[in-house]
Parts: sequence; C-alpha cells; structure tokens
Amino acid sequence: MNGRPDLTNVQVNGREYLEMAFNRCIKCSTCKYSYKLFDQSCPSGEKFLFESYWASGRIRIAKGLVNGDLAWNDKLIDPIFACTTCGACAASCQAPHADFIVDIIESLRELTVKHVGPGPHQEKIKERTRVHKNPYGEDNSDNRALKTKHGLPDKAEWVYFIGCTSNYRRKRVRDATLSFLKKIDIGFTLVDEYCCSSPLLRTGQVEIVEELMHHNIQVINDAGATKVVTSCAGCFRTLCKDYEKFNMEKRFEVYHLTDLVADLLQKGKLEFKSSISKQITYHDPCHLGRHMNSFETPRLIIQSLPGVNLVEMRRNRQHAWCCGAGGGVKIAYPDWSVEVARERLEEAKETGASIVTSTCPFCKTNLEDANKQFSMGFQIMDLVEILDNLELNVKK
Amino acid sequence: MEELKEKLSTIFGKDRVTSNQVDLYPYSYDMTECSPGMPDFVVIPENNQQLVQLVSLANECKIPLIPYISGNNVGGLTIPHHGGIIIDFGKKMNRILHVNEDMMYALLEPGVTFGQLKKYLDNNHSNLRYSYPFAPPYASVVGNAILSGMNNLSCKIGSMGDSINGLEVITGMGEIARIGSCFYGKEHSDPGSWWCRYPMPDLLGLFVNWQGMTGLVTKCAVQLWPNPRIQKCYMVIMFGLTDIVDVLQEVGRSEIVDDISAVNTEVIKMTCEIPEPVKIPGEPDFAAILPITAKTEKMMQAKEEILHQVVDEMREKGIQILLIDFLEFAKIFNLRVRCYHDLPAVILSLVEYSGLTWFGSYAPMHEMKLLIQKVYSIFNEHGIPPFIYMKSMKSGHYAIFRPIIRYKKFKEEKKVHMLLEEIAETCINLGCIPYKTPAWMTEKMRKVINPGWLQLFERIKKCMDPNNIFNPGRWNT
Repeated sequence: MNGRPDLTNVQVNGREYLEMAFNRCIKCSTCKYSYKLFDQSCPSGEKFLFESYWASGRIRIAKGLVNGDLAWNDKLIDPIFACTTCGACAASCQAPHADFIVDIIESLRELTVKHVGPGPHQEKIKERTRVHKNPYGEDNSDNRALKTKHGLPDKAEWVYFIGCTSNYRRKRVRDATLSFLKKIDIGFTLVDEYCCSSPLLRTGQVEIVEELMHHNIQVINDAGATKVVTSCAGCFRTLCKDYEKFNMEKRFEVYHLTDLVADLLQKGKLEFKSSISKQITYHDPCHLGRHMNSFETPRLIIQSLPGVNLVEMRRNRQHAWCCGAGGGVKIAYPDWSVEVARERLEEAKETGASIVTSTCPFCKTNLEDANKQFSMGFQIMDLVEILDNLELNVKK
Repeated sequence: MEELKEKLSTIFGKDRVTSNQVDLYPYSYDMTECSPGMPDFVVIPENNQQLVQLVSLANECKIPLIPYISGNNVGGLTIPHHGGIIIDFGKKMNRILHVNEDMMYALLEPGVTFGQLKKYLDNNHSNLRYSYPFAPPYASVVGNAILSGMNNLSCKIGSMGDSINGLEVITGMGEIARIGSCFYGKEHSDPGSWWCRYPMPDLLGLFVNWQGMTGLVTKCAVQLWPNPRIQKCYMVIMFGLTDIVDVLQEVGRSEIVDDISAVNTEVIKMTCEIPEPVKIPGEPDFAAILPITAKTEKMMQAKEEILHQVVDEMREKGIQILLIDFLEFAKIFNLRVRCYHDLPAVILSLVEYSGLTWFGSYAPMHEMKLLIQKVYSIFNEHGIPPFIYMKSMKSGHYAIFRPIIRYKKFKEEKKVHMLLEEIAETCINLGCIPYKTPAWMTEKMRKVINPGWLQLFERIKKCMDPNNIFNPGRWNT
C-alpha cells in the first residue's frame, strides 16, 4: 500500500476515518445550519431534504454499509454524490470528528465507486484525465507555447501551477495571473502540469491520482522551483493537503496567489496606483476558505484596492454559501449546481455590489453560469483579474 | 407498497416521498439505546391539506404515521415500532407564523427550532424571550412543548407544556381542529387569537404528552416572556451529596431565580471536556446554576439580597455551600461551562460519544434526597460514573430528576440498558414520572398505574385513533 490508507477494503484499512464518526456523531443536527447563526448552510440538505442528504445522515449511511444493514446498490448514488463537499457541515459541527467530515464523505465515495460505481457522469472525469491528463478532455497543453509567448525560463524559483480550469476553460484567469506575476516580477516559469487530482479525489475515483501527483512533483522539481503559486483554490487545497495525505514528498512550498499578494502588500513591495470605484462583494471559495482556513487574506487585498467598497454577503467566511460547483456536482447534477450558485448571487444582490469576486476559477465558472442563465447582471471576476487591471507600483 | 408510494407521491410530490432504504436508514434509530426500526416511507409535508389526505390514506391502509422533527428527543420516540410513514416536519413545516408582542406569544409550525426562534426574537422582538433548553439549538420548540420538556425559565413557569396557548391538530378522522382561544372562527384563525388556553374544556390534554398517538400537531402557540435588561447568573457549589435538594427547595420557593439547573461534579467536568470525568475525594458533589433577571438595578439588588439571605440560612443549618458569580467563574475556570448559561447550547462533551440516553423524570421534591442516594449506588454498582441533572420546577412545586448516560453507540447498548432499567425501576417506585418515555419504560409504569387511569387512557386512544395509525407502540399501544 502506498500513501493514503486503502479505503477500498473497509475490513482492514481506512476504518479509522469512518469509525471516528461512528463513535462521535449523535445526530444532533448542529452540522445542518451555521453554528450559532442558525442560517441554512448545506446546499445538499436544503435541496434534497431527507436526512440522508445531510452530513449526519451520510455518516449513518456509512455505518449501515459497513455493518451490513445497507446493501451496495445504485440507490446509494444520489445521497452519497449529491454533495458539494463544501465543508459547511464541518464548520458548524462541534464534535471531535468535525474536521474530518469531508474526508469521511470522500472515503464513502471511494468505497461506493468500488462497489457500485461513480456518481452520474463522473466517470468522464476519470477517463478524460486518464487519457488527456485533464478532466475537460482537452489535448494536454505542455504550456511550452505559453512559456515562449511570455518569455519564461526553463528553470525558476517559482512555478505558476495554472490548474485545468484556468488553462482550458477560464483562460482569462490564467492570462491575468501570468500578466500579474510578470508585473510583480517574481522569477517564475510554467511546467507541463497534469491535473492536480482534485476532481478525482472529490469524486472518489482515486486509481490514477498517485501517478498524477508523482508527475507534477517531478516536473516542478525539474524546474528547480522551491515555491509554487496557483490562483486556483482547488489546486491549492489539493497540492497542500491531499499530496500530504498521500505521503508525497514535496521539496517546494505551495502558495495561493492571494498569500503572495498579501505578503508583498505587507512588506510594502506592492502598491496600487490606479483606483476602481466599485462596490465589490467577495465569495469565499470552499477550497480556500473552509478547507484551508484563508478568509481574511483575500479581504485584506480587496480592502487595500483604492476606491473599492467591500460589502459582505449575509453568509460569509466559514459560513459562506457554496457556489455549488465542487465535489463533482457540476458534472453530476448541473441544474442543481447552477441553482446553488443562483442562491449565492441572490445573496450578493442584497449587498448592492456590482462585482462578485472570488479566488477560484471553478467558482467563477459556476457563478458566471448562474449570472447568465438567470440574468443577474453582475460582473463576475476573479480577484486576479481585478488586480491585473490596476496600475501597480512594484518595489524590489 | 408501490401503489402506496404512488398515492403518497400524488399527495406530496415525487421528490418529497422516499422508500429508498438508504434514505430510510438514518431515520431508523436515534442517539438512545432504544432498538432501531425501519420506516417504510418518509414524507416531507408542507401544508395541512397534504396531511389531511395522508391521515385518510393511512386509515384506509392501516399504516402507522410517525411524526419526526429532528429526532433529538432522547426517548426513541420517532423510531418506528411497526414500520409505517415517518412525517418529517423539520424541513418544510418550520415557519414562525406570528409573534404577538401585545399578548406575548409565538405561533409556530412544528419544525421551528430553538435556535431559529431565538435568532428571530433577538432580531425582531428583542424585548421578548422564550425559555431555552440545555439541548442542541436544533431541537424543536413545539416538540419540546407538547412533550412537556423543561427549559431555563422552569423555576418560574414550570413545564413547557403549561406554556402552550393553543394547538392546531389533525385528528384521526382527518379533521383540522384548533384548540384554545383560537377556537373561534370557521375556516381560518386570526393570528391574534392564540392568546390563551382556558377556560373552555381543555382539549389540549388530548394531544399534549401523547407522543403523537392521538393526532398530528400542525401549529402551536407558545407563551413568550419579557426579556429583562439586567441579567446575572450565580452558581452554588455544594459539598454534601444530597444538600443540593435544599437549594432546589429553598432557592426555588424564594421566587427570585428564573431557573435552577443542578448537576453533579462529574457533569461539570464532562462539560469542561475532561476525559472520563470522575469526582475526586474532597471535591464538591453538586453545583447549581441560578440565572437571575430583573427590570431595574434595584430589583436585581433585592433579588441578590434574598439569595444571599437564603444561602446564609442554609449555612446556619450546617450546610456547606459556596455562592459565586457563575460568569466570572466561567472566565477563570473554563469558558466551556458557559454553555449552561448560553442556551440553547451544543453540549460539546456529549458529542464525544455517539450515544446518549437518560432516565428523564418529573420527581416529587420530598423524595429527591433518597433518589440521589439510590441512583448513585446503582451507578457505582455498575462501575459507571453518575451523571445527574436536576431542576426545581415552578418555585419548587416539583423537581426534575435526570440521570444521564453517554455511551458508545452500536457497542454498549446492552450494558446501558441494564443500568437504565435498574434506575427506572428504583425511580418509578419512588414516584418519579418519566417524560418522553420510551416504550420499554411505559411497560414498567403500567404495572404500577391505577387500572382506572389505564382504562381511560386506552379508551381515549381507541376513540381518537380507532385504527391505531398514530405512532403505534408508544405507551405500549
């Protein structure tokens, strides 16, 4: 066995994730709503309503499957896969297993994939990634053309890990990040990256993730980099947390772009010269916020933008409503996924903001989809797109 | 079953009915040691029309109906004994329909939770408060009231069952009945008419404490209380095993505190998340939390003066007692214990275990000392640390006596059940009346209840629910 415990054999391994919950959860319902605020926070439970669609219900299902009360069959698919794994339940649960609820759900998914199969349409993620090294099924870009276009070296201290969504779908996020990184003049390069593995891990399809991880570590090492920056919250979470879970030996540190920007601002090495007179609201991506505990850094950056008025949505930070895209939901349940994003934008509307910004290209995708589908009239921008539009004063 | 599912889908909509085993399973058991039981269906209602049709269908098919809100009742009350249809009120019938400031009440649907109501009152009617339990914020207000729970105003107002102004119910005949001052009016009630329960014949008694055996409660008006500006909280610490009963009695009848929640040292330690909490020799035996509220500073001073006087009198009788400021104590000692004060609360240390059960009972005050002694011995005989929670109700007219057991679900049920059975037998023999009572416990009670009561009870049940569709198995029906 390599890395993460092999959860496919619950009799021997992986039980600790599940046992942790079995021995703790009294089904008190605290996970269902934001702690002490009593706000709705679980997209899955709010949509499908039955207990099986809330965290405590899923823990019960896991127990039922392990002890043989429930059979492995396709009726399991929706309760187990109709969840964005946003972690809102974990943010509210006060029990000792709270931090592991997402792990528990992912373990349950892994078992379900083995015994029954993946969630609706999610097998496409695996097949496309197996063949093309990205979940969108696009021909793998080795990023050489981009390197040439931007005059990037083969070796550098920093690697910009673009991530599949920015590289193949939200190219403006990628291009803005490239442009911004050049402006702040850190020595960086690009590598022939494969999918970070996030979509596979989130959907319980773990067969090829170690191969992807090894490749990414190898190409980053080959570039001589000691630091990796990404503007994708999903890649950030995966490179930081999941690579560790799989005992991947990294010789580099991983930063979200917001960490890098905040650091430069704090050290006085970066100033914004132009202004943007807008009311902006910030959507916390689950993978950056709840999963990586980064709530204030993006806000500090937004607050430092000249002319910007940052207005908070009612549910924010650890209790932010999910955009609805994560956990394989966008591909498996596309209509519901956009409904969730619509609810987020309705909330954004209450703030009077004209721009909804975030720090995750996948959040941008889903918020933009809802924005268009329901004619919400927002400008949906990744924070790096806003930053790249400003004139900068960079000091060495 | 397929035909029934189709009929249910016609009533509730396809997405609000499930017979999928995976969906049913989380409803099949709760945190208690009570045996699990699978329902055949779960439905999620949104309005009375659906429920009227459901009752008619259930009568026709003779299939049980089990009301469910969040399943936190600690009595196994929502576990189906004979399969049937679980009606999950918690998800859609959870609206706060009206808050009446003039007559201080709230009209609620069954799914409204304590957290929801508190937030609503704090945001919209901050001059009013409800009485909150030492329970998770997602327990149901209506469930608590119609099962006569007790909260943090219990020393003033007594059982929450007494706080009900009125109910709307769907009877076994499928009739929608409004009970209480809201009974005027043909089709709909005026939201301002739910202000009192008396003086007409008190039909509330046909539904309160019946554990869903006589009909479906669809609306409930509960009394609210002024939210005084000045709030303090004291704690008494007792060094004799049974001296806490004097506090329940004497402080209770002084009529100065909102509540007296007494717990033994083991429970305090558990709250502070001390693993496997036990009392060390020399440590106090019990502590009680005494919230006091007042409209003016002078009123508060007078109440505090009385409290000190009562405590002094107890000292003069030789009782070893410490009176301290609870909120200051919490700051110095452990902020976790504030959960006794900041209600409704998540009891953090309880969620370290997957199981929780209790013998929750109304108890005669004059037997409380004996109850403590006997139940302590039972715990000791079983080698399990005693966890005891008590309250003084309605100025000390009666008490709540609640030995609590947390345990590892799926592993320790048998052991816990044996302990609980012994405790139940001892307490019932001393006159305790269990509330939110699991069926195995009512079986014990039936042996000592007078035959006239049982006959009357059976007749009422039969008359109200001739086909025994409403939560059958409760009270051994």
